[in-house]
Amino acid sequence: MAVTRIPHRLIGLLLQAMLAPCLALGEPTDPIFEKEVKPLLLARCHACHSEGEQTSGFSVSSLHSVISGGNKHGKAVLEGNAEASPLVRLLKGQLHPRMPLGGVLAESEIARIEDWIRSLQPAAGVQAEAWLWPFRQPVKTVPPEVENAGWVRNPIDRFILQRLEQESGLSPAPPASRRTLARRLYLDLVGMPPTPEEMQRFLDNPSPNAYEKLVDTLLADARYGERWGRHWLDLVRYGESDGMEGDILIGNAWRYRDWVIESFNSDLPYDRFVTLQLAGGDEHSRKAWYKPEIQGHIPAGFLRLAPWDLGNLASEQLRQDFLDEVTTATGSIFLGLTVGCARCHDHKYDPIPARDYYRFQAFFNAIRVPLPPNTSGIPPEEFVVPYQDPHFRTLAESKIRQYRERLENGAEKRELERFEQALLDRLISKKMSEATSDRLTAKDLELELARKEQRVYSAEEKAAYDRLKERAGRTLEQTDHRALARYEAWLLEKLTAAYAAGTTDPAGRFRALTLADVRAEARRVNRPSKYFTREEKQRHLELSDTMEVLRRRLLRWRPLALTVTNVIGPPLGPGIPATRVLKGGDYRQPGEAVEPGFPSAFTGSDAAAVLEKDRYRQYPTRGRRMTLARWIASPRNPLTARVMVNRIWQQRFGRGIVETSSDFGRNGDRPTHPELLDWLAVRFAQEGWSVKALHRLMLTSSTYRQSADNPGVGGAASDPENRLLWRFERRRLEAEAIRDSILSASGRLNPERRGPSVFPPLPEDMKDLSRPARAGGSMWEPNERERDARRRSVYIFQRRSLPLPLMASFDAPVFNESCERRSVTTTPLQALSMMNGRLVNEEAAHLAARVEREAGGRREDQVARLFEIALSRPPDPAEQQQFMEFRGSLEALCRVMLNSNEFLFVD
Amino acid sequence: MNPLPSRREFLKHSYLGLGSLALMDLLAGDAGASAGSAANPLLPRPAHLPAKAKHCIFLFMEGGVSQMDTFEYRPVLDKYAGRQMPSVRGTDLDVASLGTAHNRIIPSPFSFARHGQSGRWMSELLPHLSTCVDDMAFLHGVTVDSSNHAPAVYHSLTGQILPGGAAIGAWMTYGLGSENRNLPGFIVLGQGAPAVGGASQWSHGFLPAVHQGTLFRPGSNPIADLHPPAGTSPRSRRNELDLLKWLNWRHAGQRTRTGDLEARIAAYEMAFQMQSAAPELIDLSGESEATRKLYGLDDPVAGTFGRQCLMARRMVERGVRFVKLLHGKGKPWDQHGDLAGRLPVLCHEVDQPIAGLLKDLKSRGMLEETLVVWASEMGRTPFDSNVVSDKPGRDHNRFGLVMWMAGGDVRPGATFGETDEFALRSAGESLPVRDVHATLLRLMGLDQHQLSFLHAGRFKRLTDIGGRVIDEILL
Repeated sequence: MAVTRIPHRLIGLLLQAMLAPCLALGEPTDPIFEKEVKPLLLARCHACHSEGEQTSGFSVSSLHSVISGGNKHGKAVLEGNAEASPLVRLLKGQLHPRMPLGGVLAESEIARIEDWIRSLQPAAGVQAEAWLWPFRQPVKTVPPEVENAGWVRNPIDRFILQRLEQESGLSPAPPASRRTLARRLYLDLVGMPPTPEEMQRFLDNPSPNAYEKLVDTLLADARYGERWGRHWLDLVRYGESDGMEGDILIGNAWRYRDWVIESFNSDLPYDRFVTLQLAGGDEHSRKAWYKPEIQGHIPAGFLRLAPWDLGNLASEQLRQDFLDEVTTATGSIFLGLTVGCARCHDHKYDPIPARDYYRFQAFFNAIRVPLPPNTSGIPPEEFVVPYQDPHFRTLAESKIRQYRERLENGAEKRELERFEQALLDRLISKKMSEATSDRLTAKDLELELARKEQRVYSAEEKAAYDRLKERAGRTLEQTDHRALARYEAWLLEKLTAAYAAGTTDPAGRFRALTLADVRAEARRVNRPSKYFTREEKQRHLELSDTMEVLRRRLLRWRPLALTVTNVIGPPLGPGIPATRVLKGGDYRQPGEAVEPGFPSAFTGSDAAAVLEKDRYRQYPTRGRRMTLARWIASPRNPLTARVMVNRIWQQRFGRGIVETSSDFGRNGDRPTHPELLDWLAVRFAQEGWSVKALHRLMLTSSTYRQSADNPGVGGAASDPENRLLWRFERRRLEAEAIRDSILSASGRLNPERRGPSVFPPLPEDMKDLSRPARAGGSMWEPNERERDARRRSVYIFQRRSLPLPLMASFDAPVFNESCERRSVTTTPLQALSMMNGRLVNEEAAHLAARVEREAGGRREDQVARLFEIALSRPPDPAEQQQFMEFRGSLEALCRVMLNSNEFLFVD
Repeated sequence: MNPLPSRREFLKHSYLGLGSLALMDLLAGDAGASAGSAANPLLPRPAHLPAKAKHCIFLFMEGGVSQMDTFEYRPVLDKYAGRQMPSVRGTDLDVASLGTAHNRIIPSPFSFARHGQSGRWMSELLPHLSTCVDDMAFLHGVTVDSSNHAPAVYHSLTGQILPGGAAIGAWMTYGLGSENRNLPGFIVLGQGAPAVGGASQWSHGFLPAVHQGTLFRPGSNPIADLHPPAGTSPRSRRNELDLLKWLNWRHAGQRTRTGDLEARIAAYEMAFQMQSAAPELIDLSGESEATRKLYGLDDPVAGTFGRQCLMARRMVERGVRFVKLLHGKGKPWDQHGDLAGRLPVLCHEVDQPIAGLLKDLKSRGMLEETLVVWASEMGRTPFDSNVVSDKPGRDHNRFGLVMWMAGGDVRPGATFGETDEFALRSAGESLPVRDVHATLLRLMGLDQHQLSFLHAGRFKRLTDIGGRVIDEILL
């Protein structure tokens, strides 16, 4: 590539140099390089890589020559990405031969070089080095021949083993024991350990296919969808509130969640899975008359899940934010491309011009977003999608009936009414007793106008006032406001005169006070009320909140969908607005109008896409999303299958073949096994996009069945990070699996599936958050039934501003943006919630009771049973002894067990 | 029982999360600090640039503080009292969330006077802070990109208007680590009510989760689940921990590459230490009577925030890198109505505590290395809220935010930026909040361009496209 790439910071330095005339302009330089890195390289590498010697065309004599590298690995330094830089990989022995030849740099020396590379930032506006692999069609190669063919169980193993055999000093780990494998399968596939009986049944199964059968059993287990579906929910930034002011509830997102779980359980082909999320409700058959499949509106909820500022009144900005979010999410989730980077300018790394970003966005521009059902004060737009399952429908109908009755005539309702009526009587009498006729305000005027009988104003005057007020509110014109203000002033004068003259009792106006006034007075904050006591206000808040919770439940059980529709289009409504390239991504700076089109990096042209319309073009606003969905969910799309295969691989093996699983672009990591990824991707699409089949293939490979420990490979291996999979990657369970495993061990997990989300109790010292806030109901609600608190974690209500502390401390994502891979951190806060938290302490007591029930009163048997339940194995003699000698309760032993590493790690 | 593995051994076998390393480093203490700093986000790291400030206390007033009733003297408002705002640049909703079609200018109901050597005009509502003006530097006409609370809060605290960004505090521990081993590096002190956006306000966003702010709650249990349930005896808890340690070491001993397993073992010991460090931190009984007075602890109105301010001093004293204080239960500064009645109460709540904090830090010689920042998410309009009321208030104004800083390399008594005669928006060039962020980072010795994190295909920065360091208020 002819274009020299100059690190961003260097450009800054160059600019400085230009601005300071006394500085001579020379070759770009970098202080960290000069001070930290260059002396090191000169000392260790100069013998072979001097300006004169240039072994392999590489020289360490200047910044430029170090960055641009030699003729074997190309660019030696990838700015900002130390891990992927060939220079570092050579120094670490990840590329062969390890440099410097015959020697090793100290870790701290390598760290210095890495720090320097990280400090570099890729140049702005410089043409990207081509990385076209993502845009080329994957090819299914013949799985390679290997020496140790006996290890191979399926083609995956050939690709993996071939790389291991190429690298010196690496060989596969021995297979894990049957116990370890069974426990691993349960934790990986259903997210909780096997019961002792399930484990025993597997161990007792003499069939040579016992393992494969277990894989099939667990893939058919309904808990599989709950486990694997959670990863998809991470990706689609699933949440149930808008994440902004007041954290407004966005509607029945749970129906999307249930659809995801059921789709994985029924193994809905992935191409269909993608299509429905992008184009649910936008599909059409090719008949003249058609109705979109109504159920498709549930998966289309994908488009609505992001945080969204429902309180924002700047609608143009709000809409653009929505479109940008959906464009970005679609690109990264389905295509593994950071399309969103091209919003403000051409993509700096991948061949995606800003114009393509907006062409891509145009596919979404027919979307109309219905208002959520519970935006207070705004009439809801209900979108009903009937429940399909008759059992669930019956359940929901009975719930709806029950909540309707309670809301209309329940004890809660009557209590609130009585209480408010009493407050109203007092408010009226107090106000009347202190009534005066001077300093009247607009509020007094309103009250007098609201009196039914004619006291001061004639019916004509009242009507005239209403007209003016309606008009001013409608037009927002200054002249109308002024007219209203003038008339108000006149009415007030008349009122003052009437009261003063004694012809009308001034106190009488307060008879027009209503329950609305009571509520306004009761909800006044930051100031004590003159009329109600603090206790009365609190009581009113609680009674109102009880009603609010009932209303929320009613809405949740009603078959409403969180979804999008299309704009209606002419002749009945406005058509699709033009999509314009926005300068700097700013909605106030629209530029050229563009038509929907696929990114030119894929198609090689920037022609508009041919939209799929219905035959008679009766519905001009339909078909845009469908067109996009068909293009993405196609075997001809080079990325769709690869990206999904890689996501499944990541969940199975701990790391994707492309580690940055939502960024296949130039800035992402390079695939460790590109041929394997392509082989799997082609097979995935060819064999009907079955996700379960892919899981099965991976789970039955020898690669997956390796032990997590490989004694044959030393600590100084050339691949310390296990990128080449010479052992199983031991890993800590995710937050949800930890909680589910605890509940499953105590035997108290409530296995009910589907339905509105649940609210496990907050920690004791956060109780105040479950009390009603000043408006809009409490942040955290009581459950409908106590046992709902023990449902699986995937059913926990996802309130964006209030993640459950236990979940958050174990790295559950902050569900604001798509999360393709969770971080794994270890903090003392985790230890605090696991030792002191309510969940573990309650469940430890129940686990102890279970152990006692199942094993009897002898401590020896109890310890054995506890190990079987929690760790799926018997204790060894030393463990048995330590546990027997422990001076403390069985409950304490249970707490220790639930905190143990063995319980929390997949081995 | 196995001893802890040597640091070298540990590094050799560790391949997992940064969090694991962080813990081991914390255990290893200073001796190990230099070797692994590249890999460990919570170890103290050298700043990019020389700077005096080592810690930051960030005071956040939720709701949008009225600049023309506190720090910006605008006598011209008296002249226009009750009249329609003459002309408003931009669209209605751009300036005021409720529209500007019909409005009345409200003069400030409060009197102003000059204070300090810098002769700064201050409202009568802030008598204590008025005695500190020569230590403070002011920024006027700071602009955020939205007139709604949540996006404005996110913008001023994370640099982007949508949730998902990393909070300033997270950026600072990411850049500088933290000096305390038994306390989190980024602590949020709230008032027990849900803040706008909740945890997203102090989120680590796309940075590693070790950088998320830890919310300290009022009362004796500042951290959720800090203490065992009532009735647990310390002795039996210690027995449990010992058995757990034995079990975990045995488990690790049978395996290779156990860095992450060992980090979890260490985390339990740290948690145990935190159980004593956190109560010691929040126990104010050792503070002198003079100190209590200084912060207004005995004042029923100012006491709550006074306690928060004093706690903040104790935290930075113990090496916590970033402390964020939230003032307000449910954005009280959002005065759409009854400005004259409510603003004095709010000012009373914070005035003495903040002045006390500045004076206390100064007298202890800590102001040199502690940057104090005062902010809100936006300013307010000179006209009323377009809500018919006999007790008018002011509407949101995303152009008129006033902020001030003190300590570190902040130039005492400096002022930058100027709003128009109505205090509506910047009179000169605009002052986007990213410039303030760039300045904040600079004051902590961080270069906004070097402090970046690759996320979703981009090098993300707090200042996004980059801000201007406001040299005018630096020494």
